[in-house]
Amino acid sequence: MIPIYFAGIDLGSTMTKVVIVDESEKLLAYVVQHTGAEHRRLANKVMEESLRQAVITIDEITYVIATGYGRINVPFADKQITELTCHARGVAHFFPNVRLAIDIGGQDAKGMKVKNGKLIDFVMSDKCAAGTGRYLEVVAHTLGLTLEDLGPISLKSTRKVSISSICTIFAQQEVSNHLSAGVLLEDVVAGLHDAIAGRVARMVRRLKIEPDVVFTGGVAKNIGVIKALEENLGCPVLVPSEPLLSGALGAALIARETILKAQAEGKSVQTTRRKLGEATFFKQDDGILSGN
Amino acid sequence: MTQEVKTRPLNRLKSMYALRAEVDKMYQVGGEAKAKGRPVAWVMLEGWANPILNAMDVITVYPENYSSLCAAQKLAGPFLERAETEGYPTHLCGYARACVGYSARMVELDGQIPPEAPAGGMPRPNLLISSAEVCDARFKWFQSLGRYFDAPVWTLESPSPNARESLTPGTYERNTQFLINEIRQFVVFLEKLLGKKMEWDKLDFTSDGTNEINRLRWEINQLRKARPCPMHTRDFWSVMSAALYRGAADPTVIVDGNQKMYDEVKYRVDHGIAAINRPEKYRMSFEGLAPWHSLSFLDDLADRGWNFVCESAYSPGRPVVIDLSKVSDPIERYVRKRYRSLASAIEIEFGPEEAPKVKEEIMREGTSYRLRLKHIRDYQCDGVVLHVLLSCRAASSGLSLFSDQLLDVYKVPSLIIEGDIIDTSLFNPVESLKKAEAFEDTMDHYKKVRKNLGFEW
Amino acid sequence: MVIATKKGLARVQELYQDRPQRVKELKAEGKKIIGYLCIYPVTEMMTALDIVPYRVLGDMRESITKADAYLPPVVCPFLRSCLDQGLKGKYDFLDGMVTSHICDVGSSLSGIWHYTVKTPFHYNIDTPHTVHETALNQTKGVMKAFQKALEDFAGKKITNAKLKKAIILHNEQRALVREAYELKKQDPPLISGAETLKTIKVIQSIPVAEGNALLRDIISEVKTRKNKPAKKNARLLVWGSILDDTPLIEMIESLDANVVMDDTCVGSRPFFDDVKITPDPIDGLAQHYLVDIKCPRTFRARDFYAAKKNYMEDLKTRFSYLSDYAREWKANGVILQSVRYCDTHGYEVPQVRDYLREIDLPGIYLEHDYTVGALAPLKTRVQGFLEIIG
Repeated sequence: MIPIYFAGIDLGSTMTKVVIVDESEKLLAYVVQHTGAEHRRLANKVMEESLRQAVITIDEITYVIATGYGRINVPFADKQITELTCHARGVAHFFPNVRLAIDIGGQDAKGMKVKNGKLIDFVMSDKCAAGTGRYLEVVAHTLGLTLEDLGPISLKSTRKVSISSICTIFAQQEVSNHLSAGVLLEDVVAGLHDAIAGRVARMVRRLKIEPDVVFTGGVAKNIGVIKALEENLGCPVLVPSEPLLSGALGAALIARETILKAQAEGKSVQTTRRKLGEATFFKQDDGILSGN
Repeated sequence: MTQEVKTRPLNRLKSMYALRAEVDKMYQVGGEAKAKGRPVAWVMLEGWANPILNAMDVITVYPENYSSLCAAQKLAGPFLERAETEGYPTHLCGYARACVGYSARMVELDGQIPPEAPAGGMPRPNLLISSAEVCDARFKWFQSLGRYFDAPVWTLESPSPNARESLTPGTYERNTQFLINEIRQFVVFLEKLLGKKMEWDKLDFTSDGTNEINRLRWEINQLRKARPCPMHTRDFWSVMSAALYRGAADPTVIVDGNQKMYDEVKYRVDHGIAAINRPEKYRMSFEGLAPWHSLSFLDDLADRGWNFVCESAYSPGRPVVIDLSKVSDPIERYVRKRYRSLASAIEIEFGPEEAPKVKEEIMREGTSYRLRLKHIRDYQCDGVVLHVLLSCRAASSGLSLFSDQLLDVYKVPSLIIEGDIIDTSLFNPVESLKKAEAFEDTMDHYKKVRKNLGFEW
Repeated sequence: MVIATKKGLARVQELYQDRPQRVKELKAEGKKIIGYLCIYPVTEMMTALDIVPYRVLGDMRESITKADAYLPPVVCPFLRSCLDQGLKGKYDFLDGMVTSHICDVGSSLSGIWHYTVKTPFHYNIDTPHTVHETALNQTKGVMKAFQKALEDFAGKKITNAKLKKAIILHNEQRALVREAYELKKQDPPLISGAETLKTIKVIQSIPVAEGNALLRDIISEVKTRKNKPAKKNARLLVWGSILDDTPLIEMIESLDANVVMDDTCVGSRPFFDDVKITPDPIDGLAQHYLVDIKCPRTFRARDFYAAKKNYMEDLKTRFSYLSDYAREWKANGVILQSVRYCDTHGYEVPQVRDYLREIDLPGIYLEHDYTVGALAPLKTRVQGFLEIIG
């Protein structure tokens, strides 16, 4: 029998992730690269990289699902599914008992209610940067730190301060005021983590919090936010070893299920003729996204 | 060199403390009465329901006041957050959101007062009385409390014509009849609910009491025109609640407290005593609702010589003097004593020479700057603070036009401060104080402009 | 007289792109045009005086530049945009402007419009907020006062006969709109959500009789046309505050969904109840405008005099029509949407969601800021919702 392969690509606002799995759900490739303004056309490059890792060609991929903020801009995808559904599926792969999945990325925060591995309800933050990775990034920059520094620094805190400003710009000012008043850096950083965790906890509480709670996305790499989230939710929070993976993995797994289900039912599935041409970030005909 | 001992910036009125304590009593009385099985109503700040409910021995509690009390003690945050979790949009009124959060907590605790609630909390309501007066979104607020309580909701109508329609012949009489009919229906509802009849002399008592409190508050406000101004906005706010929330429940005590306050303010005027312990450099008006969580911000301004001499909200209206001895219907008496036509208000406030001009402007343009700006002229303000509330449409929507006209007509500048009545996260005190410092140059400039143009102040 | 060369949906598209085209022609012929804000002004009285009622709307495709001076960014962006259009001279062809106390900001806008835009005739109808009997009587009085002001402006009287004739004509429009909505019960619907919105917008921009003729053309056209909406997986009901342009609906319909029914005011809301013909026409009009139109700005309750409130029964009284809509139009999901800073709809959202949960109909709430640029995050929400309801 000829082996068949499935790919999931998660084009996020900050990072682009590709996962390739085979028929038995075995992970063959996983690639992450910065999306960034100048990298936006690089969906193809990331795909090529993961094909190299899996040692297969594009023609051997049976079905590709694109997800994430830029999902409509992946020309070689067969189907677009939201990151909500894909995250839920990906998280459930590692944590079958997950009931609430929280994802904090660069641009938004999401809460997903999951039952039997499937998405049943969700909440998303609005377009404001508060409560997202961007909030931390902006303030870290003010402090002359990198995002990676924040978690370990906050662990030293013994008396975290309260950061009350919702607005990222106001929070920046508040941070400066605290520092000039002599508050220790670690207490300020811990306060920031608490602010973001508090905001996200309020949002996901609408879904009713039940264990297992799983936390993913770029911000889930920050040990300080994990701790703050546990405090705010009042329950333990599980984090997968690779928190950026879940969306792309979910997409690949759904691709696999789509084909296997169709094969079992004897149906054919329409697929795209795959060619790794250059992707544009916005489709020409998509008037809504381009704002015209 | 002797060390200069700095006094506190505000010279607060002694008579204020007793009145302010009456407000806290509201929650204590409410809790005790509830325990004895007396019906409790949650009511809104408005002009009609309070004397009627108290005449029927219903305990009245005010969520708007309670939300501001929570905010003042910096305890509103968790209630606001709870409202967000309950699915209410965050742009809604801070009073309402804090109240929704409180209600949700109460339901969680089987109707008990949440232990984190300050001042003893608000007892669970047997009845919700909402009003479309002042802010009409409020009736949607109480309607949505049906999610938490099985208490009936009564929405008390109140006519809200724009100025021009108010002056159209027939409007005043039609609206008076509407109020009379509406209140009659309200009394029928209460009688049925409470299983007892209204005793009309009790209504006369609560009604006359609240009218007398209004008269005293109005007289006190007249005294604030003096230079230096003897009573600061913070004192006005502190005692406002006693008058508006406790006046009908305990008229004798509140009348007495206001009489004492009148005497104290009068004494200050006679002896040239100011409301601030600094030279009165700037006479200010506060436009909008109070920042309950950050009132000390006004102390910082007082320290710089800003004396807040008047304010746009909660102001008592000029008392209605009218002979109603021939009106036998107690409800009609009740309405006519409190509801004045815009036309007669203009006539009394402006006198025979200016009143026709005001009316003509309203008919032609829909508004009259003379009417809107009158208090600025009367109190000779050097500047105004416009408190733009991020969660309140009613108090924020007319402010820009007001400030334009004010500068145009009276050469008085406005300082815009963005914030909220309840939500501290929307107010930036450091930034606001910086803006205020810079604003002093603007006020100094316009003082000169007014002088050159021959203004009285 | 200018004859329209296009018919049916092509004419809708033409007027959608140049909304005042027809009333400007009529104005040149000497007709009077009166603008009205929201759906509470009594347009029948205008028609009875041979005045053309013209719905005042905003423009979400244009940024607000002039209204900031009067209405701050924390108030309803739709009303801000209406004022902005007025201040930019876009409504200069109007002979009058009639508003109503729909909400406090609406009344505030009315006063500011009068002062700044200076449309020659200006009137604000102080519509009560409840359906108490006293409020119904008050509505009659308020309407009579408006009638008198309108008569003074027109220089002629509205006879009962003329008013009844106008009500019949407007009812005819209501019936035609409902007939058009009937065609949306099919699967796929014969008229898309975006086409529906454009059609309603256009018939509120031309004389009612012309709107009726246009609706008749559309009804016969869509029954036979080839390029009808495609069959989609989801059939959605859209509830909420004003949507006066198509981007949000088009975004939804670009996904695997058709918008088959709505409860919005550039949609079914003004048309789904007739005005009853009563001996004194004011009685029927008052009943219609205060009681029958189901905007949350009016307070309704199951029983005002009940000693206890039964929340779920109260919700059923207020929202059972939504369940009827969903059943009759076979909707399998509801989009609740509101423009940001709308208090009226904001308080209603948790209650409508409670009701939908009770009748087991999935719903999602979207808040938007009356622009066309920020729809991408909403698209993810809608698509996620569609993935859940399958």
